Amino acid sequence: MKKWFAAALLLLSIGYTIYGLNTLTLLTSSGRPAAGFFPLLIGVLLIVSCAVNLWGDVQEWQKERQTGVRPVHQADPEAEAKADALGVDAHAIDGGPEYGRDVFIVFVYICAFVGIMKIVGALLAMILFMLAFLFTFNRGHVIGNVIYSIALPGFLYGLFKILLNASLPTSPFGF
Amino acid sequence: MFADIVSNLSLGLSIAASPEGFLFLVIGAFLGMIVGLFPGFGPAAGIAVLIPMTFGLEPTIAIIMLAGIYYGSMYGGTITSILINTPGESATVASTIDGYPLAQKGRAGPALVMQAIASFFGGTVGVVLITALAPSLANFAASFGPSEYFLIIAVGLLMLTTMMGDNKFKGFISALIGFAIGTVGVDVMSGQQRYTFGSSELIGGVYFVAVAIGLFGIGELMHCMFNGQHTHPAKRLRIGFRDKEFWPSKKDYHESRWTFWRGSAIGFIAGVLPGSGATLGSIIGYSVEKKVAKDPEKFGKGEMRGLVAPEAANNAASAGAMVPLLALGIPGSGATAVLLGAFLMWGLQPGPLLIVNDPEFVWGLIASMYLGNMILIAMSIFAIPLFVKFLDIPYVNVVPVIVLLCVIGAYAINASIIETWILVGSGLVGFAMKKYGYSPAATVLALVLGSMAEETFLQTYIISQGTMNLFWERPVSLVLSIILLAVIIVPLIVSFRGRIRKKAAVSSS
Repeated sequence: MKKWFAAALLLLSIGYTIYGLNTLTLLTSSGRPAAGFFPLLIGVLLIVSCAVNLWGDVQEWQKERQTGVRPVHQADPEAEAKADALGVDAHAIDGGPEYGRDVFIVFVYICAFVGIMKIVGALLAMILFMLAFLFTFNRGHVIGNVIYSIALPGFLYGLFKILLNASLPTSPFGF
Repeated sequence: MFADIVSNLSLGLSIAASPEGFLFLVIGAFLGMIVGLFPGFGPAAGIAVLIPMTFGLEPTIAIIMLAGIYYGSMYGGTITSILINTPGESATVASTIDGYPLAQKGRAGPALVMQAIASFFGGTVGVVLITALAPSLANFAASFGPSEYFLIIAVGLLMLTTMMGDNKFKGFISALIGFAIGTVGVDVMSGQQRYTFGSSELIGGVYFVAVAIGLFGIGELMHCMFNGQHTHPAKRLRIGFRDKEFWPSKKDYHESRWTFWRGSAIGFIAGVLPGSGATLGSIIGYSVEKKVAKDPEKFGKGEMRGLVAPEAANNAASAGAMVPLLALGIPGSGATAVLLGAFLMWGLQPGPLLIVNDPEFVWGLIASMYLGNMILIAMSIFAIPLFVKFLDIPYVNVVPVIVLLCVIGAYAINASIIETWILVGSGLVGFAMKKYGYSPAATVLALVLGSMAEETFLQTYIISQGTMNLFWERPVSLVLSIILLAVIIVPLIVSFRGRIRKKAAVSSS
């Protein structure tokens, strides 16, 4: 997946640059930089660096295929890379099983939550999200899940809508 | 000058110690401890998610509370590093190396107390140095032109990315992504719309809070789920400060007496340098402590100095990062970038004139940091049983709290469903970035600084009539240009030498 992410970034960079070139003015009539100058600079740097990055990721993938050794996933890759750069071994927490399927499920739930928020209102959307999430990942605690799914959204709705007077989507029933 | 500082601090204390100021400082510090406790929810996400909760407050009180979350999380993040070998946030990664072995040796209590004292020490040294340095730096920066500002931003972002070891290229791309997102909206110079795709909601640009909450909140949460955090049962740990073994021994204090100072000094310098931040500060603090120790072999096996150094460093660094933020309006880390966004949201104009134009705000914030550190050391020692009890809550029950706060928070800011979708998209990108070694912090930093970078770059271009000679003709610019080149060249030389050594080692074996 790493190389696909790198490839997607390269494609987006190309799209960003081409769209900018087609819609933005690069230089003013007096020869000064216009609205498209900086985006073009960023776009070109993005294309070059994303291409080099993709090349590196593809090579890494090929090496993995040849050796059959897959690197363990890291708990905090950014911090661990910094530690590596300074010769400090901060890798005690890496490895273990991966839960890609669970990430996918929770992402779908979040999308559904945002998708229905305008239709059923924030309170109901929050309750439905909580119920779906808890009955997927915390089965066996039926009563606790139901109470939690009503109490937490109720508290947050009260906090944002009543106390902070924030604008939240309301359902046809007025809440 | 000393009299000025005292009078400014008294002004600040009158605000920070007012009943309202003190109340929200305690709330911020408490929330910061909790934010630090839960892995995958760092200070940047905590501040971003809780910004909407400060809507009804005075700007100074709101920022005092948000800053409390920022440095409070440094205290809280270490509790899990020591007890369960899982850093609550990136800046406490180095604390696991000796913190957890100390707990395994049955010295969790002394480790927790020493980390609290080290955090207090580092934090307080940092705030004293802010008090001394921020006004002078602001005075000095008043003469800065666009070329200096552009170079500071460039140096900061390059430092952030080049310090990422093998992932430095990914860090550079992360910063460019932030700049690219920052170009969405109306161009300030010409008024032309860019990348709005005809949407009126994008004319004002991509709102940074939604991106920050998505990258740091949803993205980190999904990464924690990917690592199986939600499958772990509750920890049921118990620690009481009335236990005899809870307190550190005289030997612990004696052995660490210089470590407090070293860690604080290193951390503060790392924090002030744009782009370094608390994570790097704590790692450098640990690395230096191990190098200067006469018995480095003890490190990694439960050595108290190995815990004190990164703890003093990350707290001093979090204070140090406030110097460029307050004096120049340039954040040095993801969390301070979100704080800068909050400044702008409250109508404050960050930069050298902030101290002159809004002294109540700046000195109120600085004074609150003195008080905040005192509150936090008391909380970190006497309320440890309470915070440890929070670890009883299984992560699977924490996930929905974070999701609801992120989604409702992102929507509530501008009542915009497009921004809420931007949050969801940023969450997915943030997860991929985190998983594949990119830097969400660099993206947010570049997004927040994007318009400033563009404006200053173009101004430099126009003033120098396209020659860009302002970058080396002005003395400060020249120094910054040399630093910029060094930031690019030094890591290349180091990596080249490393490769040669590796090759030599392989051929000799």
